[in-house]
Amino acid sequence: MDDLISEFLTETAESLDVIDSELVRFENNPEDRAILDNIFRLLHTVKGTCGFLGLPRLEAVAHAGETLLGKFRDGELKVSPPMVTLVLQAIDQIKELLESLEATGQEPAGDDAALISRLEDAAMGKLEGAEQEAPAKPDNWDEDLGRELRPGEVSLADLEAAFQSADIDPGMEPAAAEAAPSEPVEHLGVGDFDPELGRELRPGEVSAAELEAAFQNTEAEAAVAPEQPVAVKSDFITEDMSQEEALQSAMAELKGGTEGNHGEGGPRVQQTVRVGVDVLEALMTTVSELVLTRNQLMQTVRGLEDDELKGPLQRLSAVTGELQDGVMKTRMQPIGDAWRKLPRIIRDVSTDLGKKIELVMEGQDTELDRQVLELIKDPLTHMVRNSADHGLEMPAERAAAGKSEKGTIKLSAYHEGGHIIISIADDGKGLDTQRIGEKALEKGLTTHDELERMTEAQIHRFIFAPGFSTAAKVTNLSGRGVGMDVVRTNIEQIGGVVDVSSTAGRGSHFSIKIPLTLAIVSALIVGCDEERFAIPQLAVRELVRVGAGSEHSVENLQGAQVMRLRDRLMPIIDLHNVLGVGEATQTGDDQAAFVVVLDAGGRNVGLVVDNVLDTEEIVVKPLSESLRNVQAYSGATILGDGSVIMILDPNGLAGEIISAMEEDVVIEGQSASVTELDQQTQRLLLVRAGGEEPKAVPLALVTRLEEFDLTALENTNGRRVVQYRGRLMPIVPLGADVVEREGQRQPVLVFAENHTSIGLAVDEIVDVVEERVDLQMSSDKQGVIGSAIIKGKATDVVDIAWYLDQSRAGDIQRRSSSRRRKVLLVDADAFARRMIAPLLAAAGYDVTPSGGMHEVKAIAEAGEQFDALVGDPSALDRIRKDGLWTNLPALAVTDWPEDTQAEGLTMVLPRSDRGALIAALDEVSQEEKVA
Amino acid sequence: MSEHHTHSNELSAEAMNEYVSVRIGDQLFGAPVDQIREVFAPQSVTYVPRAPDEVAGLLNLRGRIVTAIDARRRMGLTPREKTETGMALGVERGNEIFGLIVDSVGEVLRRPRSELEPVPAHVDANWRSMVKGVHRLEKELLAVLDVSAVIGTAARKNEAA
Repeated sequence: MDDLISEFLTETAESLDVIDSELVRFENNPEDRAILDNIFRLLHTVKGTCGFLGLPRLEAVAHAGETLLGKFRDGELKVSPPMVTLVLQAIDQIKELLESLEATGQEPAGDDAALISRLEDAAMGKLEGAEQEAPAKPDNWDEDLGRELRPGEVSLADLEAAFQSADIDPGMEPAAAEAAPSEPVEHLGVGDFDPELGRELRPGEVSAAELEAAFQNTEAEAAVAPEQPVAVKSDFITEDMSQEEALQSAMAELKGGTEGNHGEGGPRVQQTVRVGVDVLEALMTTVSELVLTRNQLMQTVRGLEDDELKGPLQRLSAVTGELQDGVMKTRMQPIGDAWRKLPRIIRDVSTDLGKKIELVMEGQDTELDRQVLELIKDPLTHMVRNSADHGLEMPAERAAAGKSEKGTIKLSAYHEGGHIIISIADDGKGLDTQRIGEKALEKGLTTHDELERMTEAQIHRFIFAPGFSTAAKVTNLSGRGVGMDVVRTNIEQIGGVVDVSSTAGRGSHFSIKIPLTLAIVSALIVGCDEERFAIPQLAVRELVRVGAGSEHSVENLQGAQVMRLRDRLMPIIDLHNVLGVGEATQTGDDQAAFVVVLDAGGRNVGLVVDNVLDTEEIVVKPLSESLRNVQAYSGATILGDGSVIMILDPNGLAGEIISAMEEDVVIEGQSASVTELDQQTQRLLLVRAGGEEPKAVPLALVTRLEEFDLTALENTNGRRVVQYRGRLMPIVPLGADVVEREGQRQPVLVFAENHTSIGLAVDEIVDVVEERVDLQMSSDKQGVIGSAIIKGKATDVVDIAWYLDQSRAGDIQRRSSSRRRKVLLVDADAFARRMIAPLLAAAGYDVTPSGGMHEVKAIAEAGEQFDALVGDPSALDRIRKDGLWTNLPALAVTDWPEDTQAEGLTMVLPRSDRGALIAALDEVSQEEKVA
Repeated sequence: MSEHHTHSNELSAEAMNEYVSVRIGDQLFGAPVDQIREVFAPQSVTYVPRAPDEVAGLLNLRGRIVTAIDARRRMGLTPREKTETGMALGVERGNEIFGLIVDSVGEVLRRPRSELEPVPAHVDANWRSMVKGVHRLEKELLAVLDVSAVIGTAARKNEAA
């Protein structure tokens, strides 16, 4: 393509964007001459340039638009929305022609007669609905000529009107000045008649007036017409101008080559040089490396005594810093660039939907990396469009709600830390929580139970879920199949976060937090074992010191690491474990460690590291192909000291724990006999029974300690019983058998279960200890869960469940081989499964954990049978609905038992009360057997 | 060696292959010169936990991050001790630079292309997949490395995993 044309295209596209938003501004401020002059000048220049380049279609449309604008400027027509719409249509048409020019290198065939004639009609005040001052003569009657104008001709009065602001020919001025107010000047539109030439312009020619317009900004012209106010015309003849010169001047104007002549208030065009993006990128990379080398050099020299080096190095350092800032600046663009199209969009929405909308923009000058800017442009446009389309109500609706008819959309941007915050707020009706909830259910994104527990804010966030759109009707503005999920994806891709808050009737507020630049990010450098790692600051919520001297500590909850932070339990992962380096940090010992609280996909996850070393600005480098599959990393970087370190990916790390937790649960589920008391402090009752070695019973399970006279023990039907509180309580010996000891009383541990009590006879109650039980060996011995070191002695931990089972069965010999009862544990939350599974296992159940319906169905297909179902209410509900294991008792465990529909469920229990869960489970699974 | 040289000179008109001779374990290998970007002494290789075995780590080569591949591991030999620094062959593939870490780097050898012999069939398959052929030198064999295979398999294998 011709270089001139391609340059013209680039420049014109920018001008047109400006015209778009300026026109909207003008519509609201019709009195502001500066805006109009600016629009007029831009359009005029576009027209002029088109003429030079031999683009007649473009020229004709631009001209017609300009003529109409000229009427506004001369005060002959009042600005009205339909008029502005018309001009905008002309602009759109020009854009279309330009696009095709860009694609093919030439103007497309066809003509724009319809549009042009409408523009001409409007210029003559004939636009429907527009204010019209009745013309006395035929529209194209020219008083000077004494005849109607032929197509393409223009009246002298018109020309005069156009020229009236110029005072080169003072003789003409009074006439023109008179003419303008006294009679409405009918304009025929195409002003190709050139009074200086005395004939119409031939295609490709340009009038002296236009040339002048092109030149009026140059200094030479300023000297000739020093008082000339702004961007308009004088009828200065320069017939001998070569086209090329004129063109260059026109280009110069397009570029805004000289400053100070433009209308006030409009965006000022600055002197610029176009540079390819790739050049900037290369420059950025080079500078990044220079910075790193500088840092390296600084560190080397720091250890030296050589003063000679220090001076120059300091200068080098300063210059490098400046260079870096400078190069960074070349990448920065004001966010207003991404907003430029918005006023036009809002205007179109308000016209199309009949809404009254005011768009307020704040912080347009806030700068951010051009790469980031490009990526958020579309999401932003989409969100603003959404607010206008869905957020704001119709004027009548607003009035009824006691709000002003005009809705406001406020767009603002500001810097905060290393990020930029963009917010889009409207004062509309807010998000429809109920509608969103219904839609979420419909799309299977949640369940009734979950929905009921959710806060409004949580429900609102469904709008970011894939494929979600609440618009009842698809307008041509939004609802084009791209929803907020795409917005979210785009924003997350650049390491940003998007959130929404909304109040019914008051409006909604979207906020986006994105990094200023993708190239350099601020990172926290942490130490783990001997290695260092970088964590992007954007993902770091806070740092917590744990261990020695800190109120916080990492605790073990059924084998899972958690930390209490402001009364909430947060899952903890140890970087040592995730990466398989060094020894996992031991909690509770003297060694202090740090927990980095990370935002991993909206969820807080704590990452245990040995040390927090530093924060540093890092240049993110992509990972080699062979490392890209390691989820834990998002990239690598070179630190100031020249060493390479890995950048951790918070989402990847969180992904790792979830899967690690799931694996763990499966393992524990399979070997169900491992562990109730893993690493948790437990109060244990130490007893002796059937041998010298102590045995341990979790005290929490013991209801009471009693002593009975041996004589009180009776034998009924081969079972030992004792009369206890008016009932017969079976007594089961712990260990070999009850040793008959004359004159002694028999100590019995009483376990109250359901409505019956069971006694466990022991030889001696030794002690109550509180210890961290590390169950080291699982045991094949019946009635023993495993062994642990308690008070320095290997101690068997008694499996109470097994004994209870014995007592009920009555016949110990026959029941000894009885199978353990099987429980299916369903909970979508891996963390919850992890907590419950070992608990049930410890209570003597074989636990099969499963994470979702998919797994459950697979288990059902495999023909597995269970004694009971335990899980979260919604999952159990689904199992019920699918007709699986309908005869089994289903125990729901939830954090919100009071809010849960108990329908179809055997029992709903609070998650916190594990004893109740075991008791209930024992009860229902027994009932099942008995029945 | 002198006989060797004469031999080479006689055949100078013939197409010659140039190799950077390196040692990996006890074996002498030749890496085609045109595939080697540079030879450097790797310094402070950063260990990358959970990386594939053959990745010795990452290092900084004049501001570029280089993925260091341990040739010994690739060849199925005992991995290097941390104290052994060795030498590295810089290989550029796509936009990435890999550093193939070998035990030592010797002189550049020129051998006539016609003397390249195929790898004996009974040699270990993994080893054979990374060796293009063998030159018989006076005292020992020079196995010609397929540099792309040594580097590339690392990436491919990882993708499959």
